[in-house]
Amino acid sequence: MSRVDSAAQAPTPLEITLPDSRVAMLEAQLKAASMEIAELRARDALKTQFLANISHDLRTPLTAVITHAEILRDGILGDLTPRQMEGIRGIISGGRQLLNQVGEILTYARGAANQLTLVPTRFALRDVLEQVSALNESLLKKKRLGLIVEIEAELPLVDGDREKIAHVVGNLLGNAIDFTPAGGRVWLRAARLRDESPDSLLVEVGDSGCGIAEEHHDLIFREFAQVDASPSRPHHGTGLGLTIARKLVELHGGRIWVESQLGTGSRFFFTVPLTQAD
Amino acid sequence: MDAQAHVLVVEDNELVSSALRILLESANHRLSIAASVAETLDIVAHDPPDLVFLDLTLPDGDGLALVQPLLTAGSRAVVVLTGHDDHETRERCLAAGCADVLVKPVPARDLLAKSAAWLSDATKSTRPISDP
Repeated sequence: MSRVDSAAQAPTPLEITLPDSRVAMLEAQLKAASMEIAELRARDALKTQFLANISHDLRTPLTAVITHAEILRDGILGDLTPRQMEGIRGIISGGRQLLNQVGEILTYARGAANQLTLVPTRFALRDVLEQVSALNESLLKKKRLGLIVEIEAELPLVDGDREKIAHVVGNLLGNAIDFTPAGGRVWLRAARLRDESPDSLLVEVGDSGCGIAEEHHDLIFREFAQVDASPSRPHHGTGLGLTIARKLVELHGGRIWVESQLGTGSRFFFTVPLTQAD
Repeated sequence: MDAQAHVLVVEDNELVSSALRILLESANHRLSIAASVAETLDIVAHDPPDLVFLDLTLPDGDGLALVQPLLTAGSRAVVVLTGHDDHETRERCLAAGCADVLVKPVPARDLLAKSAAWLSDATKSTRPISDP
C-alpha cells in the first residue's frame, strides 16, 4: 500500500516515460477490472437476497409439515399405534432440524447483508448458559456426555442481545456435542476478563472431542467452510454455525477464537464487552 | 349449545390454513379461513370474529392493514402468525395494535393454549362470544 503513497509523493521515471498508448491501455484494463468487481459485488448481493428470500419461503411449507404432524402426534385425529407414533415423531424432529438449518441460512444472509441488529437488554450470562444447557439436555444424554457448567460468582450483568448471545453459545455447544464421541466431556465456563480492554466477560465452550488441527483454526470461522466438506463427512450441517457465532460476537464488540489440536479436544472462547462498542 | 368462539385464520397458504383449521376446530372453535385482504374484509363485514390469527404477507396487500378494521369490528385479539422472526417485524405489529406476534411454526399445543388464553380474556369483556 505504501507503493501508491510513495508513488504519489515521488513519481518514478517509469510513469513519466510511459507512452500514451500504454497509459490508455492500462486505464482501460483498470476500468474493466473495476466494472467486473462492481458486477461481482452486485451478484453477491443478489445471492444474499436470494438466500434470505428462499429461507423465508421454505418456512411456510415446513410449517404445514410440522403442524400436520403435531396434530397427528397429539391424537387430535385419533389414537396412533406406537409404530405410527414413532414415524410421526421422526417427521417432527426432522422438520424441526430442517427449520433450524433454514433459520441459520437466514441469519447468515442477514449478517452478510449487514441487516442484523442488536436488541439490547440487561441479562445474567448464567441464565443464558443454563437455558442453552437445558435445551441440549436430551442430546447430551443420548451421547452420554457429561456437561460441566462453571460460572464465576457475582458476574456483572451484560448489556447485550440475550437471544443472540444464546445463539452463539447454542452453536458452540451444538458443535461440541456433535464432535465429541459418546462418553466424553463438554463444559461451559464464564468468568470476568479484567485484562481485556474494555472490561469483558469471557465464555468458554470446551469438549474432549476430536480436536481441530491448527491450520484449520481460521478456516472453520469462514462461511460454508467445513474441515471435511465431502458428501461422506461424518458431521453434517450448513457449515455456517461458527461464521454466525463470529458475526454475532463481533456485533457485540467482542472476539471469538479457538484453542485446539487434533486429538486433544477443543476450547472455543468468546468475549462480551461490558461496555458496548457502538 | 355451548357458546362457540369464532376464530378467523387469515392465511394464503392452503397447506398451513388446513392444518390450523384441524387444530383450532379440535378445540371446538367455529373457524373461518380467509386467504386475502378482500376475503377478510368480507368476513369482517358479515360475521366479525372474536379472535384472529393473521399472516402478514397476503396476495393483495399487507396483513397489518387489517388490524384496525378487525379491532373496530369487535375482534378481541389479532395475533400475527408470521415467518419473519426479526425484531422490527414484531415492533411494527405491536405498534399496529396486534396482541402478540408468533413465529411459524408455533407448536400445536402452544397454539391451542394461547387461543384458549386469548379467548378467555375475550370473554371477560363486554361483547359476548358469538353463539351461532
